[in-house]
Amino acid sequence: MSDIDIKRISYLAKLKLPEEKEEFYANSLKEIIKWVDNLKKIDTKEVKPLHNVTEKTESIRNDEVYKNNSVEEILDNAPERAQNFFKVPKVVE
Amino acid sequence: MKQSISQIKSSLQKKEISVEELHDEFFKIAKSNINNSYNLILDKEHNKSFITESQKRYDNSKPLPLDGIPLGIKDLFCTKGIRTTASSKILSNFIPNYESFVTQQLLKDGSIFLGKNNCDEFAMGSSNETSHFGPVVNPWKNKNEPDNNLVPGGSSGGSAAAVAEGSCVASMGTDTGGSIRQPASLCGIVGLKPTFGSCSRWGIVAFASSLDQAGPLTNCVEDAAHILNSISKFDFNDSTSSNHTRDDYVSELNQKTDQKIKIGIPSDYLQGVSKDILNQIENTKKVLSKNNIEFLDVKFSTTEYALSTYYILAPAEASSNLARYDGIRYGVREKGENLDDIYLNSRTEGFGDEVTRRILIGAYVLSAGYYDAYYRQAQKVRRLIKNDFQRIFEEVDFILTPTTPNEAFKIGDKLDPISMYKNDIYTVPTSLAGLPGISIPSGLSSNGLPLGIQFIGNYFQEKKLLQIAALAEKELAFNE
Repeated sequence: MSDIDIKRISYLAKLKLPEEKEEFYANSLKEIIKWVDNLKKIDTKEVKPLHNVTEKTESIRNDEVYKNNSVEEILDNAPERAQNFFKVPKVVE
Repeated sequence: MKQSISQIKSSLQKKEISVEELHDEFFKIAKSNINNSYNLILDKEHNKSFITESQKRYDNSKPLPLDGIPLGIKDLFCTKGIRTTASSKILSNFIPNYESFVTQQLLKDGSIFLGKNNCDEFAMGSSNETSHFGPVVNPWKNKNEPDNNLVPGGSSGGSAAAVAEGSCVASMGTDTGGSIRQPASLCGIVGLKPTFGSCSRWGIVAFASSLDQAGPLTNCVEDAAHILNSISKFDFNDSTSSNHTRDDYVSELNQKTDQKIKIGIPSDYLQGVSKDILNQIENTKKVLSKNNIEFLDVKFSTTEYALSTYYILAPAEASSNLARYDGIRYGVREKGENLDDIYLNSRTEGFGDEVTRRILIGAYVLSAGYYDAYYRQAQKVRRLIKNDFQRIFEEVDFILTPTTPNEAFKIGDKLDPISMYKNDIYTVPTSLAGLPGISIPSGLSSNGLPLGIQFIGNYFQEKKLLQIAALAEKELAFNE
């Protein structure tokens, strides 16, 4: 197993690990990945991946609009808002 | 002696107790919160109208199925207008504006919510130690070390402790890899994980969507049947919700069948387990064998791969599900100079160690170059695990296993993640296959701590599963 690039992985997950904890997580991740490595020895060439265990129950429904929420109620949970919008720092230069 | 839902309802009907008195009795214990099993306790004012309405229905002799029954709700179910935190910092201020499908059903059936039960952060843990609001203490003590505080198991640890301490009649939990059954076992109560697709996941804070399932933690099997009657329904808002016709799980619970019942015991599950654990299985065999039940040795070929499969798939789904927590629309936002900084700071500050670890595992196994080797391979092995169960269910009606490999352990005892993950060795395979499983108390360990056994049934066979569990419960006649 190649070394784990913890900086890259954490950025993919949108996390900024404090430097003093990078090694802790890198080691932990390494150990767990080593532990789950036993799956590699199983021959699965003929096996299809299983996404949903019951397989029969996946259903679709009509795309109909229900009005169950109000803008006010939803914005009540917003950390910062401006009028009817979620407020964030400027993203366009 | 704790009373069952049927007994409580009968007392309410006979006016031996009022709904308000019943509420106050449980509320008083919940309020003291000595084991930290609640993140939030609803004050009496909040429940006043529910109590009054419920009493009116009893007065008119038209009570609803769970009328007046005080329940705990794991703090993972969104409850309208009531803070829902998933025991996390990032959601510590979140007040949902909708009610989860499952809690809607419980309210519709007249039950009264006492509060939100503590759990592991985002349901990730097997000891309730990862909660942002501190660990839950198991109401049970090791008789040889009575001063030590023990874990209640997890992730529905607050739910299990609340039922065991007598602060609610039953509690709603969720189970992804054992999060209902394992804490039920460690706290000496009943825990049922229904078949995946039985109970809607709508409004439950998502951990691993292909595995998460809601279920009750109760004092007895009959109570679990009562709760299941209420919550097992089709919901069009959950695309994996099954629309099959549900049984009445209560009415024929104690009905005996003339047919011979075959129960498989996987011998590989029992290799190297402690004498205490082995005794639970032996004793169950002994008390059940006079009931026209045959026990067979069954052999799985995938057991050693189940935990690895789970610890790839569950973190992968978690890392994807938890991508929504970014500090923009709800939850706690940390300061940042630009948008990316806000995301990074809110997430880094907002998640605890275990959740961070699982997000990282998930991001790793889903990342370019590793996807096929880990994630896709695990999904293929998941099919082999499912096939393994299906093969065994051609020979037997149920599978009997221990629920956990050990009794409740000391808070702070298991520090490395892998030894913690191994706690779910008997519950994870069932979850991966999507099968229903129930843990019932089977006896005490040599340290005087409760231990449980797990019955696993075939898909959507909850009725039969509850029947065999009720029979075993009766035969084991386990009382504190």
